[in-house]
Amino acid sequence: MFLTMKVAFRNISRQKKRSFLLAGAIAFGMMIITLMNALTGGAVINIRDNFSHALGGHVFITGREWTDAGQMIMKIRPDANLDRLLEENSGQIAAFTRRSQAMPSLIFGSQQTLHMLYGVDFVEEERLVNSLVVIEGSLAEVGKRDDIIVLPEPVAERLGVEVGETVLIRLETLTGQQNVGEVQVAALIKDQEELGLSAAYTSRAYLNGLLGMEPHEYQILNMFVTDLDQVEQFARTFREGLMAPDEEEEQIDEPEVTVTVAGVPIDPVQRTEEVTPWEGTRYQVMNINQIMDAVELVVGVLNRVGLIIFLILLVVTMVGITNTFRMIMIERTKEIGTMRAFGMHQKQVKNIFLWEAVFLGLLGCLGGLVLAGLIALAVGSISLNADPSLQFFLDNSRITFALPGKDIVTNVVLVIFTSLLAAYWPARAAAKMSPIKALSSHT
Amino acid sequence: MAIVELENVRKVYTLGKAEVHAVRGVTFSIEKGDFASIVGPSGSGKSTILNLIGCIDQPTEGIVSINGTVTAGLKDRALTQLRHETLGFIFQSFNLIPVLNVYENIEFPLLLGKKKGSKKETREWIEFLIEAVGLADHMHHKSNELSGGQRQRVAIARALATKPEIVLADEPTANLDSKTGQSIIELMKRMNSELSTTFIFSTHDRSIMEIADHVIQLLDGLIVEDSKTKAEAGSIS
Ligand SMILES: Nc1ncnc2c1ncn2[C@@H]1O[C@H](COP(=O)(O)OP(=O)(O)O)[C@@H](O)[C@H]1O
Ligand SMILES: [Mg+2]
Repeated sequence: MFLTMKVAFRNISRQKKRSFLLAGAIAFGMMIITLMNALTGGAVINIRDNFSHALGGHVFITGREWTDAGQMIMKIRPDANLDRLLEENSGQIAAFTRRSQAMPSLIFGSQQTLHMLYGVDFVEEERLVNSLVVIEGSLAEVGKRDDIIVLPEPVAERLGVEVGETVLIRLETLTGQQNVGEVQVAALIKDQEELGLSAAYTSRAYLNGLLGMEPHEYQILNMFVTDLDQVEQFARTFREGLMAPDEEEEQIDEPEVTVTVAGVPIDPVQRTEEVTPWEGTRYQVMNINQIMDAVELVVGVLNRVGLIIFLILLVVTMVGITNTFRMIMIERTKEIGTMRAFGMHQKQVKNIFLWEAVFLGLLGCLGGLVLAGLIALAVGSISLNADPSLQFFLDNSRITFALPGKDIVTNVVLVIFTSLLAAYWPARAAAKMSPIKALSSHT
Repeated sequence: MAIVELENVRKVYTLGKAEVHAVRGVTFSIEKGDFASIVGPSGSGKSTILNLIGCIDQPTEGIVSINGTVTAGLKDRALTQLRHETLGFIFQSFNLIPVLNVYENIEFPLLLGKKKGSKKETREWIEFLIEAVGLADHMHHKSNELSGGQRQRVAIARALATKPEIVLADEPTANLDSKTGQSIIELMKRMNSELSTTFIFSTHDRSIMEIADHVIQLLDGLIVEDSKTKAEAGSIS
C-alpha cells in the first residue's frame, strides 16, 4: 500500500499543469460550497444575536394563572422557587430582565398610535439604560419617578409630542377592563427598528398599576445566557425546576411560535384553549433556538441549493477526471507493463490510480478551503453600508463567516468519493490491461 | 538442472483473419547459471520466446516450465506471483519508473512482495547493487537525469533486486551505442558469475552473442542452432 501511495503521490506532480487544472476545478467547487456554508452559518449566528437583542434575551419565561373569576392572565408573582433557580444558575446567566408589557394606545392631543410599551425596572436594567441612544431629554430621572415614558423618536414625531409634555396611555388591564394613565415624556431615543426593536419604556411599577398588577409582579423574565451552546439545557433546567407537581410537560419544544418581530415573542394566552384551571402559576420556558428553528429551516434550504451547485460542479469535474485518467492510462501503458512484469498485481495498479484521485481530491479541497478562507477574510473586513433590513443578517454591518467542521468533513468526503468514482473505470481498465500488450505499446 | 524448459512450443498470433506463426515448435532448455543468448534476425521470434519464459504471455501449444512450474493454465495472480519470485526483467528501452530515483527504482520490486530481511539488510543490498553497477554517485537521480547506458545499469540492478533465479533481457543493447552495449553485456556477465543468476538475453548483434555460454539461434520461429560452450570460468576478467 505504501508503494502504491508513493508512486501515486509522485505521479501527481508529474504533469503539474494538468494536476493543477484538475485540482483547481475541484478547488473552485469546494470554495463555492465552503463560502456558501460559511455565509449561511455566519448569518444564522448574526440573526440569532440580533433576535436575542430584539427579544431581549435567549431564554424567556412567562407565567399564567387563573383569576377567581375563571380568567387566565399572564403574570409572574415574586416566587422563591424562581429566585432560587436564578441564584443557583447565576453562573450561566449573563443578564436578565423582568418586564411587563403592553400594546397601548399612546395619545397626545388629537394624535394617537399603538405602540409596544415595556414596563421596566430602570434601576435593575442598567444594561438597557446604557444601550439606549438619547436624542432629546435625559434618562437621569427614569429611576426616580414612575410616571414617565421614554419614546422612540419616530413615535414622538407621529404624536407631535416634545420632551416634558404629557402623553395619555390607554390600555386594557389583564382582566380586560379599560384603563388610562398619564406619563411625562422623559426622553426621545433612537429607534432600533432595523433590529426589530421599536419600543417605548416606562417604569414597571407604573405599567403594572395600569395593568392591574402589584408593583413587584411582572410578565416576562428574559435571560441572556453566557454560553449559547448550552441554552437548551439551561432552558430545560428552568422548565423542570418550575414545573408544578401535578403539571404534565407540554410539548412546547415545537417551533410553532409566531414571532412578531416588533412585539412579544410568545403569546401563551391564545395557545391555551379548553384547559382546566389550575392553582397558582404555571410557567412556560422558551429559548431562542425554538425561534431560530424557522430561520434554520431557510438556511437548510439555502445550503441544499449550495450543495446541488456543488454536486453539479463535481459531476463536471468528474468527467474531466475520468477523461484525464483515461489519457494518463494510455500515457503510462508501458510503465504499467513494467510494474506488472516485476510482479505488481492488478489491484495494486488500480490502487495507484485511485490514490492519485484521492490526492487530487485532497489537494483540491485544501486549495478550495484556503481560497474560501482568504475570500472570507477579505469580505469580512469590509463594513457594508447596507439597507437596514439587511442588518439583521450582519454583525455590525459586516458579513460574518462561520463554518462548522461537520460541513467541511462532509464536503471533503463528497469530493473524495466523486474523485474515486471518476477514476474508478480508468483505474480498472489500467489494471486489467495484459502485461504483454502494455509492454509492447509504443507510448 | 534445467531452470527453463520449452517443449514443442508454438505461438500463433491472430491479426484479424490472418494468423502469424511467431514460434513454430521450439524445444530447448536452459540450465541454472547459464548466460544464455537468443539470437536471430528481427521477426524471428526472440521477443515472443522471452515473453513466454517471462510469464507475460502464454504459448498456443506446448509446455513452458519455469523453475519447475508449468505456466499453462495459471491465473493472472499466480503468474504475477511467479514473475515476482522467480524473474527479473531488463528491457530494450530501459523502462525505469520516471517518478522514482535510482535507489527507489531498484528498491521497487522488493516493495511489491512480502518483506524479507531487515530494513538495514535491504538497504545494504540495494546499495551493494548500485555500487556493483557503478552508479553510487547517482543514487538519488531520476531516470531523466541519466544517460542510456546509466539507465540500463539501473535496470540491471533492478532486475537483480529480488535475487531472482532468472533475469530476462530482450535486446538490452539495441538502444545503446555498440561500446556502451558491450559494457552492459559485460556487466550482465559479471553479475551472472558473481551471483550465479541465470541470464537469458536476446540480440540480433552477433558480436554481442559471443559472450554467451549458451547460444540459441532462431530463424522464422524455429531453432537453427543450440550450442553450449561450457568453458565459462574466467571468460570475463
Ligand atoms: N502481438 C502480436 N500480434 C501479431 N503478430 C505478432 C505479435 N507479436 C509478434 N508478432 C509477430 O511475430 C513474429 C515474431 O515476432 P517477435 O517475437 O517480436 O520477433 P523478434 O523479437 O525476433 O523481432 C513477427 O512476425 C511479428 O510480426
Ligand atoms: Mg523483439
